[in-house]
Parts: sequence; C-alpha cells; structure tokens
Amino acid sequence: MGYNKCFSADRVNEKPRTSISLAIPASNSVIVDRSSNDDARKTVDVNFDARSAMAAGVISYDSNDAIAVSTLRRFNELFGLLIYNRLCVAVAGCEQGAGGGGRSADTIRRVKVKMSSVSAQGVVERASAELSRRITGLGLRGRRRSPGVVERVASALCGPAAAAAVAPRVPRRRRPSPRPLVWSQFIMEERFLDKFFLYFTANERRILAQVCTKWRDLLYSSPRWWVGLVAALDCRELRSVSGCCLQRFYNTLVKREIKGVVLESASDEDIAEFIRQFSLSARHVQALSLKGCTITDRGLEAILDHLQVLFELELTGCNEITEAGLWACLTPRIVSLTLTDCINIADEAVGAVAQLLPSLYEFSLQAYHVTDAALGYFSPKQTASLSVLRLHSCWELTNHGVVNIVHSLPNLTVLSLSGCSKVTDEGVELLAENLPRLRSLDLSWCPRVTDNALEYIACDLNQLEELTLDRCVHITDIGVGYISTMQSLAALYLRWCSQLRDFGVQHLCGMRALQVLSLAGCPLLTSGGLSSLIQLRLLRELELTNCPGASPELFDYLHEHLPRCLIIE
Amino acid sequence: MPNIKLQSSDSEIFDVDVEIAKCSVTIKTMLEDLGMDEDEEEVVPLPNVNSAILKKVIQWATYHKDDPPLPEDDENKEKRTDDISSWDADFLKVDQGTLFELILAANYLDIKGLLDVTCKTVANMIKGKSPEEIRKTFNIKNDFTAAEEEQVRKENEWCEEK
Repeated sequence: MGYNKCFSADRVNEKPRTSISLAIPASNSVIVDRSSNDDARKTVDVNFDARSAMAAGVISYDSNDAIAVSTLRRFNELFGLLIYNRLCVAVAGCEQGAGGGGRSADTIRRVKVKMSSVSAQGVVERASAELSRRITGLGLRGRRRSPGVVERVASALCGPAAAAAVAPRVPRRRRPSPRPLVWSQFIMEERFLDKFFLYFTANERRILAQVCTKWRDLLYSSPRWWVGLVAALDCRELRSVSGCCLQRFYNTLVKREIKGVVLESASDEDIAEFIRQFSLSARHVQALSLKGCTITDRGLEAILDHLQVLFELELTGCNEITEAGLWACLTPRIVSLTLTDCINIADEAVGAVAQLLPSLYEFSLQAYHVTDAALGYFSPKQTASLSVLRLHSCWELTNHGVVNIVHSLPNLTVLSLSGCSKVTDEGVELLAENLPRLRSLDLSWCPRVTDNALEYIACDLNQLEELTLDRCVHITDIGVGYISTMQSLAALYLRWCSQLRDFGVQHLCGMRALQVLSLAGCPLLTSGGLSSLIQLRLLRELELTNCPGASPELFDYLHEHLPRCLIIE
Repeated sequence: MPNIKLQSSDSEIFDVDVEIAKCSVTIKTMLEDLGMDEDEEEVVPLPNVNSAILKKVIQWATYHKDDPPLPEDDENKEKRTDDISSWDADFLKVDQGTLFELILAANYLDIKGLLDVTCKTVANMIKGKSPEEIRKTFNIKNDFTAAEEEQVRKENEWCEEK
C-alpha cells in the first residue's frame, strides 16, 4: 500500500506560523483539521487521511473560508482539485488570520469526511502529488488548470450562488477577510494599540488613559507604559478629596508600578493620613520627595519609618526640618539624597549624612551656609560608595573645600560646583589632577574660572564626557581651543560665555565625537561662524537660543545638513 | 525586472515591479508559500485595499524601495515621532480618512516602514489634544461613567514626569 506517505511542506515550514502535513494512513476517511489561529505563531495543521481513497463527501472546515458545506457523490477528477483548493485557502486564511482575525484557539474545527466506495486511488495520488507541488512551491508553470470543472460541479451540487463561493476565479489566492477593516474597530484592537502606544511618552499616555475604558485598562495593565512617572500630590488639595478616591488612586500606583511619590505642602497630619490610606506604600514607594512641606522632624521620622523600601529621598524647601531631625531619622537604606533650600541645613547635616549613610551613591546639596569644613566629614565609607556629588550655590565654599573633596572622595564620576562662585582655577587644577574618574563636570556660574582651568581639565580629565561652563564669563576662544582637544567629550555647554567668538567655534568643529552642544546666548557668534558646525556629524542636539548672530537662513542650512540633529532655536 | 499584477478591492489592476510589491510581507509570503511564479500571468487580489489607497502604497513603496531594512527594534522601546523625513511628511499630507486607510493597508499588507511612519503621523496629530478631542478624532465612544471619568482624570493628573 503506497499511501503511508507524509508530505512535508518545506517552504511553508520555514515560516513559523504555518505548518502543513499530509498523512495518508489506513482508514476510510478524510480528516481536515484546522486550528483557527489567533496568533501568528500558531500552526495550522492539515491532515489528509485517505487510505481507501474514494470520497463521498467533502466538507469545508471554516465558515470564514466562504466555502459551502457540500456533499459530493461523484468524485473522480474533482476530489484532488477541491482538496487542494481548500488547502490553499486554508494557508492563505491562516496568514491573514494572523493579522487580527480574533478567533480564539479553542475554536478548533474538525470535520470528518467519510469515504465510501472505492475507485479513486489514482485520484488521491494525483491530488497528493498536486498538493505536494503546490505546497513545496515546485510550481505548476505552464500547466493549465480547469477551474471550470470545479465551478460546474459545485454549481451542480450547491446551486450557482454557492458555486461562486466555492470556486472563485482565482481560488487558491482567495483570502478570507476576517480582519476588521474599519478604523473605529482597529483603533480598539489590542495588537495595534500595543504598538501604537509606543509612539507616546509616559507623560502623554496619561491623556490616552482618559480616552475610553479599553485604552485605560490596556494602559493600566502593564507597568511598562508608566516608566519615568511619579505620583505628585499637593496635600492641601487632598484634604478635600474622599478617602476612597485616594485609595483607588494609590492602588493604581501599585498596579502601574509607579514607585516615586512627591508630596507638596505636607504637614505632619498629611503624612499620617498618607501612611494610613496608602499602607501598601511601605513595600512599594522607593523614592520620596517632600517639597515646600511644613512637616517637622517627627513627621519625617514617621514617614521614613513607614517606607521600608525607600532608597531615594529629597527634601526641598522643608524649613521645619532640623539637623537634629536628620541625625534622628536618616536610615542606611538611603543611597540617593537631595537636600535643597532647607533653611536649617548646614554643616551638621552633612555630618549626619556622612555618618549615617554608608551606602550613599548620590548626594545633592544646595545650602548657602555650608562651609569647607563640612566636606571634611566624608568618611572612608563614602570614599567607596559616593559617585555623584552636586554642590549647588554653596557660596561659602572655597578651594579648601575642593581639597577636602578630592581627599575624601577620589572616586567621584559626577561633580557639580555650579554657583560655588569662590572656586578658582587652582581649585579646578586640584580637581583635574585628583579625580581621574570624572565623567561629568559642571562649573557653571563659577565666574573665577578662566582659560587656565580649561587647560588643566583638557590635560588631565581624559574620561570626561560632559562639561558645563555656562556663565563662565572669562572663558575665551583660547580656553575653548584647549577643550577641543578632548576626544571623549560628548556634551559641551557654553551658554552665555560672552567672550566666545567664531574662532572658538572653529576649534569646536574639530570635536567629531560631540553629540550635544549649547552656545545659547553667546552674543558675538555670527551666522558664518555657526554654519561651520555642520562638520559635527554626530550632533544630536544643538542649542542656539538667544544667539543674535543666528539667522533663519542659518537654521535652514543647519537643518538641511544635520538632519538627525535636534536644533533648538 | 518581472512585474506582478495587484488587484484592488474595486477591481483595478496595478502592474508593479515584484521587488517593490515584496516590501509587503503579506504579498511576499503569499508568493512564496503558494509557490506562485513570478512570470505567471496571474493577479494577486487585495480585497482589503481600494485603488486610491493601493496607488498611494505603491507610490510609497517605489520611493522607499532601496531603503535599508528597518532595524529589529526593541518591542518595548518608546519611539520617536519627530524624525519623519520631509518626503514622507509631504506624502502624508492627506486627509485624516486617507491616513487611517493607509494605516489599515500598511497593517494588512504588513509593510513595516509605512506602518511606522503613518503611526508617527497619527501620534503627532493627537499629541497635545485632550481626551475629548482624541475621541472626536478617532470616533471613539466615551464609555466612562461620569464618576469613572473624574476618577481616571485625577489618577493621571496626580502623576507627572520625574
């Protein structure tokens, strides 16, 4: 018995979404199995089982294929043709179903076709050969099919209308169309929305979630849509909001995995309410920011006690918090701390931070009264851990403070002395010589820094990637010349460096690795000088706001030659 | 270059270079899976695309035929929308209905580049709009109850970028 064959459909099998096998074991029936697929990767199996090879009936297996269920009595020639036509439809159907037919996998249809009498062995053989050729793509070039036969038979069996459905003019290419073709349906399809929402930022998705329940539920169901957002609550406003509304909100924070919370204008009572209503915050909130709050040391202690997984803390404008309070409540979990504009914060606070936070990685401090001595408090603990130090507008700091920094924190990778206006070239020389790992340095608003400092930086800081010199008003083209030799530098900010001229820009054009450049507010630069910036092929962002020399023609020229660069006019 | 005939839903036939037609994964797969030969004088019916849209799609595919393949991007990565080339931007200066039809066609024909740029255009269109304006644009029904709407508004108003 020569029919125990298995045709493997190689070309079809290359595609993960479709597989077809034809088996002809001993039995008296034809079975066509078709798994409807709701997923491009599901396979469609079509099994032919036709040992005795005379069919009494052939039944279509999927209503979407628009082939009527029919019973055929006289088969002879037609058996093979019909089968392979249907098979082709099945293949095409599954291809297309992948686009969103929306039928579920559990609607597998199994149709059993009984075979009666004998005779059509040859027919089955032919049909099988035909199928195999079709599927493996060996081609039927030049071979004439006779669709008229199919049509005629179908017509005889099912009437002319069905015949049109059974035998379309190009039957094997006919595709069922299960996909919705209407935009209003498409815009509700999960498969599409999952891609479409990627074209928005987390911030923009806040609006999308308010469009309809479908969009909301889809967006709320995955934390990936919300990365980068924090909850920001003005406690004065919350006092008039119902508890259950707030609790629902807190639940969505957990669901969306929004783990940062900003509380504004919080009093000790607000903190107590927050802890009561959002008890899950104990294991959920990782970053807390308190802005303009009237909370006292007691309130701070309560919230830090409650938030067991907190590792990032910011206090901005919290004028009731004392240094003693920080001594009492800072926990060693904290690896990132920001203290800004809190009136009672000075040297002693830095002492508490140095003593109590052995794993501190990032410390930002803006405090007008901090002195050089405070920077001597850092211990060997922080030598290893502290990598990012930002001292903003610490007006009292001098080069002595810099000595303390380089001595106790030699591993810094990011340092900002923005607005530490007493620091001079000598201070910068110390930094350059002793902080070899610096990748980012901010000396903006340090008016005592001159070209000499830039020479030190260019000589020693070989790993520097980002340099900010905004408002360093004594810097000239010579200093920029030094910087232009730094091959690792990817971002350079020279805002309001008022002495910079076109000659300096010429230097910059040699910095082929530069990706971000700001020359905002440089009054002496001309369009001619700026036009040479097109040599910076890697530039992603160029800021030229408030440059009186930059003309509309210049911007056109830059846009044309730096198509991938964001140019801020 | 061999050509292939594509038939739109309204039965117009387009004679297209096979290589250009194959930027549609749907057509490409169809040709391969069904073992259709390139020199066979047969017609590929595209019942989901009308002639006006098919014409646009072919125009787009012809202009972009030599583009390098799009990088396999990270499925979860946020995508920029400010990097539409000026040719594409001009090409997509069409009425809203046509734009939506193009997305449907790009999706059906599985043309990644066209789907990408049309999605970007639509995304830009609704950025900065209110939920109500977005509903209007897309003809989406507001199925929130008043209370739900207020709740979801707050839930999102109370969040912001870090």
